[in-house]
Amino acid sequence: MTGLFAIAGVLFTLFSSINAQASADDDLWQVLQKTAVAAHALSYQGIFYYQAGTQSKPIQITHMFNGQGEFARNVVLDNTPREVFSQGGDLTIFNPKNENVVIEKRHGQNMFPAILPTNLDLIKQSYSLRAGDPDRVAGRAAQMLFLEPKDSLRYSYRFWVDAQYGLLLKSVMLNSRNEIIESIVFNQLGLMDTVDLDWFQPKIDSKKTYVMEDEVVIIADNGVPVGWSLKGLPAGFKKVDQMIRMVHGKSLPVTHLIFSDGLASVSLFIEPLSKSIKPRAGRKLVGGTSFYSSVSNGYQITVVGEVPEATVAQVANAVVFKK
Amino acid sequence: MNEQISALLDDEIALEDAAHLISVVLKNKEATQAWSQYHLIGDAMRGNAVLSQQFKQNLMQKIEMEPSVLSPNAALASEISKVKHANRLPASWAIAASFAAVMVVGFMLLNQQTHSGDEFVAREVAQADVSKDVAADEGIPAEYLNAHQASAPSASAYYIQTVSY
Repeated sequence: MTGLFAIAGVLFTLFSSINAQASADDDLWQVLQKTAVAAHALSYQGIFYYQAGTQSKPIQITHMFNGQGEFARNVVLDNTPREVFSQGGDLTIFNPKNENVVIEKRHGQNMFPAILPTNLDLIKQSYSLRAGDPDRVAGRAAQMLFLEPKDSLRYSYRFWVDAQYGLLLKSVMLNSRNEIIESIVFNQLGLMDTVDLDWFQPKIDSKKTYVMEDEVVIIADNGVPVGWSLKGLPAGFKKVDQMIRMVHGKSLPVTHLIFSDGLASVSLFIEPLSKSIKPRAGRKLVGGTSFYSSVSNGYQITVVGEVPEATVAQVANAVVFKK
Repeated sequence: MNEQISALLDDEIALEDAAHLISVVLKNKEATQAWSQYHLIGDAMRGNAVLSQQFKQNLMQKIEMEPSVLSPNAALASEISKVKHANRLPASWAIAASFAAVMVVGFMLLNQQTHSGDEFVAREVAQADVSKDVAADEGIPAEYLNAHQASAPSASAYYIQTVSY
């Protein structure tokens, strides 16, 4: 009888330790969830440094959530100051080029410190989360988190999040050899308690001519592809967009698919080969961006993404042509 | 002057002063340009695309639905073509574009020469050994990188300038 109790006791201890582990994991994901939301919901301003390879740029950020909407201005502080304005997911970029300032319109909601999606489900599938030591960034107490891939198909991340507000203070992306590919870190940061939008306007240079960027023809593509299908995509990558677009220097439209694992994005381009297109096959890795191109069944396949080389190769090989 | 134009756009100038300012702006070429620049910037900042993505499609559809007029107005047609020309990009752009085209053609010729015209063999080799680049180019082709970054921007796309044409 006592033996039975002993076994029950051991089992209970075992289960509760598993439960404790699971709830500690949940707590960590809660911290990351708070970080994902904080970047959108708080009002702050500061200067952070973006560094990748030999490039290093200071960027001044002003971000405001006024209860109705989200407004942000990012100014790249170098000799040709680019200003990026975002309102929700709509971006307007003022890009000085020689005598002109080119106005570009974009969509995107993943600008630092808002690099995490507010729904972390997709990230949970492919990464595990582990706590690091307390640290200080930009004069603020920070909790460090390791977001590590469960396989070799993506990079790993280290996040330093504000101990009080949850805001992301520092983000580092590393490859499988633990080499830093990209780092973004706040140098100065302060919260704002105003809802005044005076700052939300570009600095106009009266000596320059403002021009709209050439419109790129993009058509949303909801159709099922006729000649090909996808089989064996890298684990954890979901298709998030599909379109037909014109690509610079190409006379024929190109099918463009975008896949994401919640953090990293991969673009797949499929285009029929024609006499005007020189077929291309090869691979490249520049910084953290991988490129892979191949030719199959009269089609040029091109894959680009901020993922390891093996991942873009797998995406390219996932395109199966119907015989 | 520019400050006054900006104030006019922001509705911060009294109606009687505005009338005077507008007449001055219309006479001054530089001021007229500033006026249209501020409008362009304002339109871009207001969150909406200056022309919606479907603008061309919608316009073409509308034109198709219009009944054809059998007596074309020659004077109007020539006016339209004048306006069209006025809206064209500056000449320097056309030069830049043709320069870029020459570069592309030159590059293609150069490539063809290095492959002695036998692309098929090059392709076969490349498929067998993909670690070797067939196109022998330096970086990731800018046209695909730009398309990727425009639709799936990452941090570098926001802060680091990629190749422009």
